[in-house]
Amino acid sequence: MADEELPVIARFEVRRRSYLAPDGTVLRPLPNFASDSDILISLYRGMVLTRAFDLKAVSLQRTGRLGTYAVSLGQEAVSVGIASAMREEDVVLPSYRDNGTLLWRGTKMEEILLFWGGDERGNLSSGPADDFPYCIPVASQAPHAAGVAYAFKLRKEPRVAVCLFGDGATSKGDVWEAMNFAGVHKLPVVFVANNNQWAISVPLQLQTASQTLAQKAIAAGFSGEQVDGNDVVAVRAAAEDAIAQARAGGGPRLIEAVTYRLSDHTTADDAARYRPPEEVQTRWKEEPIARLRAYLVSQKAWGKSQEEELAADCQKQIEAAIERYLATAPRAPQTMFDHLYAELPRAYASQRAELSGGSDA
Amino acid sequence: MPEVTLVEAINLALARAMEEDANVVVLGEDVGVNGGVFRATVGLQQRFGAERVIDTPLAELLISGLCVGMAAQGLKPVGEIQFMGFIYPCIDQLVNHASRLRNRTQGRLSCPMVLRTPHGGGIRAPEHHSESTEAMLAHIPGLRVVMPSSPERAYGLLLAAIRDPDPVVFLEPTRIYRASKGQVEDNGEALPLDVAFVLRQGRDVTLISWGAAVKETLAAADELAAEGIDAEVIDLATLKPYDEETVLASVTRTGRCVIVHEAARTGGFGAEIAALLAERGLTSLLAPIARVTGYDTIMPLPRLEQRYIPSVARIVAATRKVCQFS
Amino acid sequence: MRQFILPDLGEGLEEAEIVTWHVNEGDRVVVDQPLVSLETDKAVVEVPSPWSGRIARLFGGKGDLIKVGAPLVEFAEGTQGDTGTVVGELGQEEKAPRGAEASAPAPARTLQVLPAVRALARKLDVDLNLVQASGPGGTITRADVERAAKSLAEAEPAEPLRGMRRAMAQRMAAAHAEVVRTTVNDEADIDDWQQREDVTIRIVRAIASACQAEPSLNAWYNAEAGERRLIKRVDIGIAVDTEGGLIVPVLRNVGEREASDLRAGLDRLRADAAARSIPLEELRGATITLSNFGMIGGRFANLIVVPPQVAIVGAGRIDQRVLVHNGQPAARRVLPLSLTFDHRVVTGGEAARFLVALKADLERAS
Repeated sequence: MADEELPVIARFEVRRRSYLAPDGTVLRPLPNFASDSDILISLYRGMVLTRAFDLKAVSLQRTGRLGTYAVSLGQEAVSVGIASAMREEDVVLPSYRDNGTLLWRGTKMEEILLFWGGDERGNLSSGPADDFPYCIPVASQAPHAAGVAYAFKLRKEPRVAVCLFGDGATSKGDVWEAMNFAGVHKLPVVFVANNNQWAISVPLQLQTASQTLAQKAIAAGFSGEQVDGNDVVAVRAAAEDAIAQARAGGGPRLIEAVTYRLSDHTTADDAARYRPPEEVQTRWKEEPIARLRAYLVSQKAWGKSQEEELAADCQKQIEAAIERYLATAPRAPQTMFDHLYAELPRAYASQRAELSGGSDA
Repeated sequence: MPEVTLVEAINLALARAMEEDANVVVLGEDVGVNGGVFRATVGLQQRFGAERVIDTPLAELLISGLCVGMAAQGLKPVGEIQFMGFIYPCIDQLVNHASRLRNRTQGRLSCPMVLRTPHGGGIRAPEHHSESTEAMLAHIPGLRVVMPSSPERAYGLLLAAIRDPDPVVFLEPTRIYRASKGQVEDNGEALPLDVAFVLRQGRDVTLISWGAAVKETLAAADELAAEGIDAEVIDLATLKPYDEETVLASVTRTGRCVIVHEAARTGGFGAEIAALLAERGLTSLLAPIARVTGYDTIMPLPRLEQRYIPSVARIVAATRKVCQFS
Repeated sequence: MRQFILPDLGEGLEEAEIVTWHVNEGDRVVVDQPLVSLETDKAVVEVPSPWSGRIARLFGGKGDLIKVGAPLVEFAEGTQGDTGTVVGELGQEEKAPRGAEASAPAPARTLQVLPAVRALARKLDVDLNLVQASGPGGTITRADVERAAKSLAEAEPAEPLRGMRRAMAQRMAAAHAEVVRTTVNDEADIDDWQQREDVTIRIVRAIASACQAEPSLNAWYNAEAGERRLIKRVDIGIAVDTEGGLIVPVLRNVGEREASDLRAGLDRLRADAAARSIPLEELRGATITLSNFGMIGGRFANLIVVPPQVAIVGAGRIDQRVLVHNGQPAARRVLPLSLTFDHRVVTGGEAARFLVALKADLERAS
């Protein structure tokens, strides 16, 4: 029997969502929230602040006042768009690059600086108390997200876990195991694969043979959607949709947000070693902030004076945060024992004392 | 009071914990319908429902990662890893997250999870089913590592572990799951963590052990008593953090110490105890510290496994030698 | 060469126009120092220097447009941004630490003592070097320490060895360590001696005579070189017991001097020894030694051969013994003789022949 005669028992489809072209022109009818210019402006402000903050963080690192930092240049629409679709009682589990997400949800800039500046107190976070902090071991937050979502489901809470990770993470078993479990139990979790095309120096073509990252959800039993990650309207819309479905008991979804990492992997990386600057130049043309600005300007909802005001306001906020960060003295050394367990076991009391300059050195 | 086996005691403790606290959730492969391959979770799903007793997909990393997420949300997950030989994919979640979630969020988030797994060899199992790598876990700051050696301690320590606000790896000695019997009152009373149990008082030498090896150690103590050597036997129970005070007090009195563990010799947890004694109990030592351990080789398949596991005879011989020093 | 690429300055710009350069090619700048003012659609922005260093090249002049991502300034130093890591900082090359000069290794501890026992010894003020070990592997037990403590309590206070006693301790230890001692004994029947025989002189002359009969016992042995030197002249070291201890002055050329001369010489040596005025040369150069311990008591002895000598003769106490004389038991005066020799250098046969000669000479009637 020839292959074509065998019955097809499964097919899949992956749709791609986008609303605004790179130059800001409208491709198809916009979602409802986009008719509220206040919402769009708040998204714009969120992205601009994120970028300004990121670049200032780089400058701090270059001048020795911050440790290694992961810039999200070019990806602001993903982090802000996703966060803006969440409720406060939802829980986000970010990677290590989702600065816009943390800022949107209430983490203070000086807290982010404290963390990358080498102080655990940065993770105390003024954002929602249940949100997870930055996650460094790639993809390891995915099983956490499944666990969080399971708790919501068990307690019948209308809350959703939103898990952010990169294209590299989708190669790891952690993501597969988490999605697989979420599928089995129809958990209220939204997985967001932030596909910025690069995992340090490894390009997407070497990362996976899969045509899209979105379709990896299908093997786990739920749907995956690709979205133009540089179109914050599309990102927000996709997130709203997925989160609402999850909240209503419809189970998980995977959103693949296609974007581009315009910056180096971290401040210690030099991307020119492995990718040509011309490629980066080309991609700049698709970046999210200019795109939304173009649209807002075309709707007469934004202008030069607002831009200047916003820039000044961002600078002011950022400078103030930096001042607070730089003024924060390091913790006393013995505090490295303070949250090791709920109560420090007797066995370690003498070591703690040693650090505080107390007994037995 | 009914006499139960060690694994039955675990089952009792799990049931009681789940009864007391609706946040307690059990998860793992085959734990639900099948009641666990060793029947540790038998009856739990029938009693508490499939939502709280979850048959997970075959994914150890997932099991440990789910525990982290659930625990951060205030559930009290008790994950089961079917054999310690399969715990290694969990090391990432245990070391990178469970052990440090409280610390890295300065207390904002915490991780009250338990990961249970059968430990050690001697059940004539195929390869990889006889692991005893507790020293690896006892090295990790922020974790607790607990190993009971009797039904009473299994019951009391598991309850304590589940109630504890921090992550606990609970290692269950497979070869005495059924062989160890004891009277256990299902009264919900926990035993203290971080505390060692003096199972037998003695004057001449301190024998320290944990897990299934406690059985041989006690038998050795009986044999030695017949030849006039009065041995004190300590069950360390919690390896991390361990009860330094009890160990030091005992060896200070007896002046001699023999440590018994099934795990391989080099870097085994006995080395830590020997270091402690050398640091803080040295002037009390009448004799060199002896370790009776598994060999520094891969645990052999069943035909030879009894030659690997410390026998009563080896413990007796080592203790006799140590007691020659006066 | 290191290039500073125009970064995004926070406003999503694609390019900016150079308004004013604040530095020139060749200038040295510090980090954060303003390099250039750029005008964007929105504002004029000052760009600070990301590094300290010397400016090698400026890209563009006033009025030129620079694109984001294009080079703005080239610095003279530094590689193209290769930190060699992706997180953190790798420290700069440091000078490799110099190995320490090899110091003398600590002397090996030979005492086997477990800590609790050591602590007990300290508590009881017992010198562990004096304790005899009875524990396994040669370790000292608590009982050993307690026993030593008891003995020490009943002993006189410790007295350090000085002078002649110290020298003897060292000399004898060294000799014992080196020499392979063998002893052969006999008795000389001296009943036929005259009444007032000068015993010591008779003995030394007999030794000289034996040295003639068997010269290999009058020699010096250099163990290191493996060389033996037979000596014609017989210079006999005479062991003298003084108040201060043992001293061994040398009676020279015994084989060729008259008895009276030897006696005078010996008396002078003894007097000087007692007065502690013996010059060092008188103590050196013996080719063989006599220990006349019989003057005090005792019959036979296993004596110490002091290198480079190879033999020592011991004369025990003269006494009457019942011997067989001319086929009949008889009470005869006998002089016990001990000959200890270094068996590295002297054969049993040589020693025996020497002893036979010695005895024969002594048994001659005076």
